[in-house]
Amino acid sequence: MFDKILVANRGEIAVRIMRTCQEMGIATVAVYSEADKKALHVLTADEAVYLGDAEPAGSYLNMDKIIRAALDSNAGAIHPGYGFLAENAAFAEKCEQAGLIFIGPPAKVIRELGDKTMARRIMVKGGVPVIPGMTRAEADPAAMAEEAEKIGYPVLIKASSGGGGKGMRVVNGPEEMEPGCIAASSEAAAAFGNGAVYLEKYLERPRHIEFQILADAHGHVIHLLERECSIQRRHQKIIEETPSPVMTPELREEMGKAAVAAASASGYVNAGTVEFLLDREKNFYFLEVNTRLQVEHPITEMITGIDLVRRQIEIAAGGVLDLSQQDISGRGHAIECRIYAEDPENNFFPSPGRIAFLKEPAGPGIRNDCGVYEGAQVPVEYDPILSKLVCFAENRDAAIQRMVRALAGYVISGVKTSVPFLMDLFQSKAFMSGETFTDFIEEYFADWHPADPPADLAGIAFIVDEMYSKTRVKKTMHPTGNTASPWETLGNWRG
Amino acid sequence: MEYRLKINAEIVPVQADEGPENNLKIAMTGQQFDVDWQVIGDNMIHLLVNGRSVNAYLTEEDGGKNITINGLTCRVEDADLLEQNRSRKTRPGDVPSEVTPPMPAVVVRVMVEAGDLVEKGQGVVVVTAMKMETTLNAPFSGKVTGVNAAAGDKVMPGEILVDIAGAATGEVNSE
Repeated sequence: MFDKILVANRGEIAVRIMRTCQEMGIATVAVYSEADKKALHVLTADEAVYLGDAEPAGSYLNMDKIIRAALDSNAGAIHPGYGFLAENAAFAEKCEQAGLIFIGPPAKVIRELGDKTMARRIMVKGGVPVIPGMTRAEADPAAMAEEAEKIGYPVLIKASSGGGGKGMRVVNGPEEMEPGCIAASSEAAAAFGNGAVYLEKYLERPRHIEFQILADAHGHVIHLLERECSIQRRHQKIIEETPSPVMTPELREEMGKAAVAAASASGYVNAGTVEFLLDREKNFYFLEVNTRLQVEHPITEMITGIDLVRRQIEIAAGGVLDLSQQDISGRGHAIECRIYAEDPENNFFPSPGRIAFLKEPAGPGIRNDCGVYEGAQVPVEYDPILSKLVCFAENRDAAIQRMVRALAGYVISGVKTSVPFLMDLFQSKAFMSGETFTDFIEEYFADWHPADPPADLAGIAFIVDEMYSKTRVKKTMHPTGNTASPWETLGNWRG
Repeated sequence: MEYRLKINAEIVPVQADEGPENNLKIAMTGQQFDVDWQVIGDNMIHLLVNGRSVNAYLTEEDGGKNITINGLTCRVEDADLLEQNRSRKTRPGDVPSEVTPPMPAVVVRVMVEAGDLVEKGQGVVVVTAMKMETTLNAPFSGKVTGVNAAAGDKVMPGEILVDIAGAATGEVNSE
């Protein structure tokens, strides 16, 4: 087993990985950029190495700096988290060359599955059903339009090296092809350093259902049930749940087998996710494999009781996966929603800034994987995810009720968040009845406006605060007071 | 005591009279509120409003307070104070009709040139922030009189990226 692991990421996922490392008695090394000197992941780790500029290219995407940091700190392995270098085959290769273990699949597997067109070819060969579409990337919009005629509109432009919804555009007719290609390609180039795009048939009103897989280096592959992630905005998942409201034992067995076949066909090792689209007739099609720990992995952990990060580390260390498919069963229902620093009243535009006040929800069945603290700065340079709120209960209805309660008790001030939007979403008839399709937001929440806030009560609170603040003692008068965040005081003695 | 509060966008007169210890009688929007209050911390107040329990979380920002109750946030300001401050500034009231990013961003593409005629709602500049691309639209129809940004530029809220002269009024949306 490793003595020390470097976590090549930031925010909530870096903190989440470090927690398991700490539980396993493994020392942790954080890396950080100029913007993250006081970030929670730096405060959580046993050691921290400064990388450079806030710009990802100078820090979290800089492979040589990260490998140097791992070697200098004597870390035996690197956990890439999600995003940044998590699905970068060249990085996995560089780790191998430097004698470091990359906690994820082998570089070859990342490369082949990361190329979405190659992945489709592998799945066809492995007998996994795929969506009709191109098997090669194409740079010429005219040739794309020709392909689209063959497939039939609407079609979806996708980034070859994509993931996470970046670089995708729906095209309804030939006139939309060229602007769509330009936009998708430029977004893909910015996000992944590769602007190659291809086409797939666009399925109307599908559900997005994915299977968590675990595979060891000794050829043993299992799945850890499904997650439904249909509720997306701009092709970004915002709510995930397990089990899926439409899953049946028969369909689960069939899709689970396909997921395991997909992993086996690609020579997969470590934790991964096989994504499918499920149409109205419950036909499922392979979408892609995410060769990393998923953002939404906690809901699987909640219903299976398995710590996926621990399993990842054990597998990376060469361990045998001592679970068989029969050992895996789900219990209860888990839902996750992503809390972003974004303004739901302004088209969900990112809302960076300083967290002026933070009160996390608590209580039975609530897990909040949070990457910030009161006083923390949410930088403009990175994804604006603040935390992932996960609720677990004995059934779906109870889990939804628990989520609404948790959201109502979640206070984040200083930046705008999606909390009011999520509260309305979870209380909507459509969500409660499981009408979760990938067009859910457009269908039911396109014209969403926040509920009228309790103006009278806010006015009363304002007046009480005004009257109270007249007698409020200045903070500077009692420096030993409990107003300073522990993180700020920690920051001092860390130097 | 009398207050004039600006709650979100509305001006609300409020009459507040101190009752016995930690109690206020408040009259606003034609209603009477009997309020028992406890200050829990710098950012938290507990209220019993006509017997109903309310937790309010407050943070101060730009001279006003953001107040969160049951997951929803209100912006509350002292309207009189606000007017005093405003009269000192020469700048007229908020004009949302500008091509400016809502937050610090980087310009990806500028889609118009000086002299172009644009329709209201037409995309004129694409900016990216936090890895998301957003299109800034023309706030009204008119003629582009100036382009003040190029691809790659870092831009801030308030910076006018494209000047547009309105077709109807002939006004130039620039500073």
